[in-house]
Amino acid sequence: MLFKDQVDFVRQHIKKNKLRVFMTILAATMGCAFLIVLASIGFGIQDTMRKEILQDQAITEVEVYPNENEELNLEEIKSVPYIGAIVQRTSMDVMTSFHLEDRSIQGNLLLTDMQEEEQSNLKLSEGRLPQNESEIVVGYHFAQNLWTDAERAKVVEEEADLPKGYEKSIIGKTVTLSLQPYDSEDAFSEQWEFTVVGVVDIPARDWIIDQSILMDKLWLSKLKGTYEENAEQIPENFTYTTTKIYTDSLEHVKSVTKDLKDMGYNVYSVSEQLEQIDVFFMAFKIGLIFVGTIAVLISSIGIFNTMTMAVTERTREIGVMKAIGASPKLIQRLFLMESAWIGIIGTVLAVIISYAVSYLANWILPMVVGTSLGEDGLQDLSITFSLIPWQLVVLASTISIGVAMISGWRPARKATKIDVIQALRQEL
Amino acid sequence: MIQVQQVNHTFLIGKKGKEKKVPVLKGLSFEVKQGEIVAIVGKSGSGKSTLLHTIAGFMSPEQGSITVNGQETANLNETERAVFRLNNFGFIFQNFQLMPGLTAFENVELPLKLKGISPKKRKESVEQMMDKVGLTEVGDHYPNELSGGQQQRVSIARALITNPPILFADEPTGSLDSETEQDILLLIQNLNQTLGVTFVMITHDEEVASIAHRTFKMRDGELVKGDAL
Repeated sequence: MLFKDQVDFVRQHIKKNKLRVFMTILAATMGCAFLIVLASIGFGIQDTMRKEILQDQAITEVEVYPNENEELNLEEIKSVPYIGAIVQRTSMDVMTSFHLEDRSIQGNLLLTDMQEEEQSNLKLSEGRLPQNESEIVVGYHFAQNLWTDAERAKVVEEEADLPKGYEKSIIGKTVTLSLQPYDSEDAFSEQWEFTVVGVVDIPARDWIIDQSILMDKLWLSKLKGTYEENAEQIPENFTYTTTKIYTDSLEHVKSVTKDLKDMGYNVYSVSEQLEQIDVFFMAFKIGLIFVGTIAVLISSIGIFNTMTMAVTERTREIGVMKAIGASPKLIQRLFLMESAWIGIIGTVLAVIISYAVSYLANWILPMVVGTSLGEDGLQDLSITFSLIPWQLVVLASTISIGVAMISGWRPARKATKIDVIQALRQEL
Repeated sequence: MIQVQQVNHTFLIGKKGKEKKVPVLKGLSFEVKQGEIVAIVGKSGSGKSTLLHTIAGFMSPEQGSITVNGQETANLNETERAVFRLNNFGFIFQNFQLMPGLTAFENVELPLKLKGISPKKRKESVEQMMDKVGLTEVGDHYPNELSGGQQQRVSIARALITNPPILFADEPTGSLDSETEQDILLLIQNLNQTLGVTFVMITHDEEVASIAHRTFKMRDGELVKGDAL
């Protein structure tokens, strides 16, 4: 029998029992859609968490910490393959005040190697990286937090709206740095002037206020020396250094992380956290798919029932077909095609419905949650409640169509076993 | 064409564990030659239907052999038997056994579909056959829209569409009035003469048996009259 004729045959039978087939397809659709939507929640939450993590940190970034009372061996670290840049930023245990005209700010001074910063692809919102010792780069919020004493006093007393700070371009401006120990009321008399040549890019998070100052690391010894000269004693742990390693590409993060761990350092990288999250969500998604598959199995009872009814109803027809020369294999194939057809149509509808539900959920749920929590800002956050990747569609389709065919298998086998003589004796 | 040799068959009747053996075919042997019309007559329960089902390959005899066109049918598996039936046999049933969801044309076309013939060739063959059995006008009618005689003609057309050398007819006029019965019998004779088709008919109607070249009479699973081998 030609394939087209087989399809025609199946179509004719389905047409004869439209309502019953429709209800069976509906059950298959609901089962499969439930599976996809349920699993999509797992994919959605995983996606949201991945995005959250990746927003915090560059994906090629690996943080390295020495063990207690030890120091990093930079030469050893540099020998690790695929390392693009090693950025060490050092902060000091002292108040660092920067002044511009009548405005000032207590910024977070970070001493670093500008060449390494360049290699790590430090992004600037404007300007450029320093080319000499007297040039600095400031954080994105540095200028807007440059307040006058009057403005600062007003904020403290009246809790008024925050001042707008220095509104002109900060690029090319000269700022003055002074140091003041935390336990002292006066700043040291020495002051240093620096030219602002660049502003760091806006932080990934809305709530991060970046008022840091990146300065060439050559200044560390000078500033430390000044502190030692003026203060009675230098605090323990006066400086604190963080080390970040940037790999040359994403695929090498894992190997670099492993090499550094093998050297005995404490290492943290996004890829490691992502890996842990992926493992957790893999288990979570398997659980959701398992629950969803139960729904598909329940819907398969409908398919089994429909196909059993179809075989019972068509016993005489099957008998005639066999009598005039239809092979048992053909009979079986025709019934399997019918159950597969129910599965395929049910799955296609389920995929369409699932995408619609997923889209609506991602559109409406943030609004609902935002309104109920009374936080307007929540709507702006990119929370993915439901995500349907193509892999999920393939998996759910395979499960749904497979289960449909399995549930049609037994009725189809029953059809092949129909006794021609008994079937022909059936009343019309 | 058909050789039946020492065919025995027994049915088990009764509850499981308390079955009773009832012999239905008792050492039957006969031959049907090509181009013959053979009638098997007998009362109900004489075993004539079982004999036809055995020859047609719907069931296997317990003992004996049935050879059709040189092929021992008992040696074939179910799929091989189906293919053998498709290529060698046509069937006419008492209650026509048409597919209710298919039109007259589609019913006649069905065996050609099973053989995998292309739609174009099928259309030609079916139109010719419908013409031959006088059904040109009712091709697009469903079985329930046809008279008994027309339905039996559709059944005959379906049986002949694959040009089988042998045609089995189980009470071919059993559901028809006497006028239509005459028409169908004339048609059978005509097809036998023009196409050379071998007919094996089961009937308890003397008039139907009268068109046969030979008649086998059965009683209690035995041939009591006829040309045994």
